[in-house]
Amino acid sequence: MSAATNSGIKRSRRHIGDHPLPWLLPLILLLVTFTIYPFFYNVWLSFHEFAPLSRSLEYVGLQNWSQLLGDTRFWQSLSITLAYFVVALTLELVIGMCIALLLDADEPGFGLLRALLTMNLVIPPAIVGYMYLLMEDPQFGVISFVLQMFGLVDTSTPILSSPSLALAGVLLAEIWQWTPFMVLILLAGLRSLPTEPYEAAMIDGASAFQTFWRLTLPMMWKVIAIAVLIRGIDLFRVFDYVFVMTSGGPGTATYTLSYYSWQQTFSFIKWGYGATLSLVTLIIVLVVANIFVKFAKVRW
Amino acid sequence: MSKVEFKNAQKAFGAVKVIEGLSLEIPHGSFAVLLGPSGCGKSTLLRMIAGLEKLTGGEVAIAGKRVNDVHPRDRDIAMVFQNYALYPTMKVRENIAFNLEIQKLEKREIERRVSEAADILNLRPFLDRYPKELSGGQRQRVAMGRALVREAGVFLFDEPLSNLDAKLRAHMRVEIRQLHERLGATTLYVTHDQIEAMTMADIIVLLDKGAIVQVGTPDEVYEKPNSVYVADFIGSPSMNFFDGEIEADGEEVRFRAANLSIPLEARYRGQAGKSVKLGVRPNDLHFAADGAFKGEVILSETTGAEVQIHVRIRDSDVVAVAPRTERRVHGEAVALSVPPGKVHIFDAQSERRIEPQ
Repeated sequence: MSAATNSGIKRSRRHIGDHPLPWLLPLILLLVTFTIYPFFYNVWLSFHEFAPLSRSLEYVGLQNWSQLLGDTRFWQSLSITLAYFVVALTLELVIGMCIALLLDADEPGFGLLRALLTMNLVIPPAIVGYMYLLMEDPQFGVISFVLQMFGLVDTSTPILSSPSLALAGVLLAEIWQWTPFMVLILLAGLRSLPTEPYEAAMIDGASAFQTFWRLTLPMMWKVIAIAVLIRGIDLFRVFDYVFVMTSGGPGTATYTLSYYSWQQTFSFIKWGYGATLSLVTLIIVLVVANIFVKFAKVRW
Repeated sequence: MSKVEFKNAQKAFGAVKVIEGLSLEIPHGSFAVLLGPSGCGKSTLLRMIAGLEKLTGGEVAIAGKRVNDVHPRDRDIAMVFQNYALYPTMKVRENIAFNLEIQKLEKREIERRVSEAADILNLRPFLDRYPKELSGGQRQRVAMGRALVREAGVFLFDEPLSNLDAKLRAHMRVEIRQLHERLGATTLYVTHDQIEAMTMADIIVLLDKGAIVQVGTPDEVYEKPNSVYVADFIGSPSMNFFDGEIEADGEEVRFRAANLSIPLEARYRGQAGKSVKLGVRPNDLHFAADGAFKGEVILSETTGAEVQIHVRIRDSDVVAVAPRTERRVHGEAVALSVPPGKVHIFDAQSERRIEPQ
């Protein structure tokens, strides 16, 4: 007799409980194929290197790891990634919060404005990269034109080709595309805040700044932390804009960690070293994210 | 002198008119309860005093000064919200001190006022806790503490006890009233609970559909309700009503309905022939062998010291409140009488009270 006809729901649930494997198998297969196996393969790879002569992977022990510690390119790309991370995250958070506060209203038209925010997000990052490449062109780019108008740059200093400006040029694309993401998350948080404490604060006589600082910010803390975490992890693996706009140049001005790993792996066919670099990126992200989660008291 | 006045106050949300031309004066130092069913505009009225709702017409004045366009912080008010509206990320101490910090008072003065409020409201053990770590009653007290330290001229309470259990509510009623006595400020208190209104108020303002129905002391409103609506709303259990007519026969004036004839005071003689509604409070009905209300007991509810006895008189049910010793059993035939001075007569059409000279 089948379980279902035997004695209803309880029986059929126990049936699943006795044999969970068939139900879990698809998920396990997916995880093993696309996450666990590649991860361990990557770890294994970091102890090997592709030998062009024998056209095979040869065991090299800790050579990749020791090379990494002495690799100035690596340290340089790490510091560029960190700078990119800090500047982008700060600006996206601050600008995002300002825009979210402005849009947190029920006046007519604000719903449309909120909907328009998603437009930046649906464009593929590579396309945004091309857009900004053109807009920052010293000859006909609109951004260059405006900056030249204010005397901030001149035609002889193309933004993306000057070592001191290139990272900022890439950051422009990054911030333009991803600030709306911050706005969306922060706005969702703002819109779900209770209204009564604000009325109480009004009667208590709090100014707009006091209300923001003493009420909104603390009440939004968890939302902000989640937004920072998601964006932060994403920022650490910045690749598209760099690839499209500067290829890491000029010199090493925009050489980020993920671009460096990509180049080692796919341009220089140093699979082992590329794997080591990407593992280090993963370790840094995991450590920083966990410290942040602990520090920010985010509970999942 | 913090008297509160409304002069032809109006409030509309879009096309929906919530308050239409309301005028009212609450004298300084009195405890006024705005009473009415949900949606009658009582909370809106309170929020208009607080400055949380703008008037669409008329005027609101505090201490003789028009405050229509004055910011809430400058109205010399303190408010306790229905859901307490505590600042969730601040400790109890900070919640209470927030206004004082904004006023930039000296640290020592802030500390003094906070601990004074904490003592009055028994909050000392909770000063370093967050609102989420408190029970409903404790949160309620924090909300009151926050209002208390402001030393405002007008205190506004928006259904502050509606989230508490019955026992705590009774306790807090006493505390709020004592607080009012101590502070001597003008208090406006919104509730839909007529027991709260009766027990706490100096003045009851009974509202219906955005208009004042009756203003008076609890005794006045209870003893002389000016309409069927008020009579029905005030008092628990509710007043019993009978439709009928006033008849004058020689010396005697009587209220007569189908198989019911009750003697009235002679002063109703002038109303003879009028269709009326007769109202009797449940505790004015007494068991008497020759009582006019004859019927059968259908339910007997004990509330402790008293019993509420439901009696079916032909097709209508009447409730009488009697001492516990007067217990009756289901199906028992009983007769109830009412002293002539204890009936309330209302016009059948307008439902207004008839008060002959």
